[in-house]
Amino acid sequence: MNAEWGRRIGLRVVAIAVLGVLWQVTATVMDNPTFIPSPAAVWHRLIQTSTVHDGTRGYSGHLLIEHLGVSLRRILIGSAIGVAGGLVLGVVMGTVGWIRVVTEPVVTFVRALPPLAYFSLFIIWFGIDETPKLWLLSIAALPPVAVATAAAVHNAPTALVEATRALGAKRWQVTRDVVLPNALPEIFTGIRLAVGIAYSSVVAAETINGVPGIGGMVRDAQRYSQTDVVVLGLFAIGLSGLAIDAVLRQAETRLIPWRGRA
Amino acid sequence: MSSSLKTEHAVEIDGVEHRYGAVAAVGPVDLSVPAGAFLVLVGASGCGKSTLLRLIAGFEQPTTGTVRIDGKIPEPGRGAGLVFQQPRLLPWKTVGGNVELALRYAGVSREERAKRVPELLERVGLHDVAERRVWQISGGQQQRVAIARALAVPNPLLLLDEPFAALDALTRERLQEDLRQVTAETGRTCVFVTHSVDEAVFLGSRVIVLTSRPGRVALDQDIDLPRTGIEPDELRGLPSYAALRATIGHAVRDAATV
Repeated sequence: MNAEWGRRIGLRVVAIAVLGVLWQVTATVMDNPTFIPSPAAVWHRLIQTSTVHDGTRGYSGHLLIEHLGVSLRRILIGSAIGVAGGLVLGVVMGTVGWIRVVTEPVVTFVRALPPLAYFSLFIIWFGIDETPKLWLLSIAALPPVAVATAAAVHNAPTALVEATRALGAKRWQVTRDVVLPNALPEIFTGIRLAVGIAYSSVVAAETINGVPGIGGMVRDAQRYSQTDVVVLGLFAIGLSGLAIDAVLRQAETRLIPWRGRA
Repeated sequence: MSSSLKTEHAVEIDGVEHRYGAVAAVGPVDLSVPAGAFLVLVGASGCGKSTLLRLIAGFEQPTTGTVRIDGKIPEPGRGAGLVFQQPRLLPWKTVGGNVELALRYAGVSREERAKRVPELLERVGLHDVAERRVWQISGGQQQRVAIARALAVPNPLLLLDEPFAALDALTRERLQEDLRQVTAETGRTCVFVTHSVDEAVFLGSRVIVLTSRPGRVALDQDIDLPRTGIEPDELRGLPSYAALRATIGHAVRDAATV
């Protein structure tokens, strides 16, 4: 078990080291920092954007951590709203047949749209401040949770529902005590998907008036061909995304100890 | 008139027939189960005995005729405690939590529940398992929990659908013995479905043999064996026990070939 663990960690470290070397070699051979900045240049950017230097604060007047914090806050609020909405919609879809028939194509339709496409609409409706960004992330996060919840609620195990009804449970008690806990593992998978989608949509949400924000930072850097900042932004998003997913996995094993056992 | 019925018979089955589409599964069956009786329905697989039990539980409605529990049309959750072949416990609840649920639905207060859950578990021979997870106890123990949960339902009628069929022989025997004792002590009315003749004779105060498709009453046999104050082995050794086994065994075989 421990040896296995060590081997996995070792393998990952080696893989990352190999990628780093490849990156360095490519950057050296290309010798075009606008096309491929070297690891050292990105590292230098990390220091620069995380400090106040020459009277400038970070990038565009905000430290990297502040950009990241604002983006994370947007992701958090956006996915919270989306998850809550998806849960409610999913339960209703899974319970009421005709609502499922009506809403399923709509949810699938929205799911297929790239967030950037409906962002324009939100800009027209809600202006360029926080509101359209949160709307975008909420709408992007809602479908996976709704679909997962609806499927799990709809496929509630008859045996357990029947046994619980036999004990005298009312309809809402069956929902609370059987249908929802039974759906929890799938809902969690939906939530992880939703947060992932909110993550990958944050750059789209910050294309307009996105500073402070990691997406805004990347967008600005692209405009000025500061490729090292773009790469730094990608790392910030990707690594914090990994961390959030790890936290969600942890929460999952704690909240759903029966997963895979029943 | 109905009030005298109410006190005399826990379950009243009147001209009940049940069809799945064109297939006649049950009936017509007329049967009344007096309060405190341990009625066993026995027959070959697919003879409609489980369907009859589901009709009594209110999960199915008869195509014709009526089923009444205490004079009322049965509804799931109002009529009886129910035990299935599988324990059907909720894995997200602890063992105690599963039993507690039945008390909660019955409107029992929190303090009262805390007191009664361990009592109910003790009654089915389980100690110190209330905090355990369902998957941490054995299959036999899970089925005991399912019985404790059914005993928590306030209605004195207990319906059991082949509850021991999936257990190993030794566990099955021990659970049969304990169920026999618990029901004798608590004076519960039981309707128990099985395909095992031995189980029927051992547990029942009355055994009904059903024919196959549709299930009709082929034999209605009272079991005049002592219910209390006798060791299981002693009971199984009685000559009358062997005689009853033979009678019912024949009836089951005859009913299956009809």
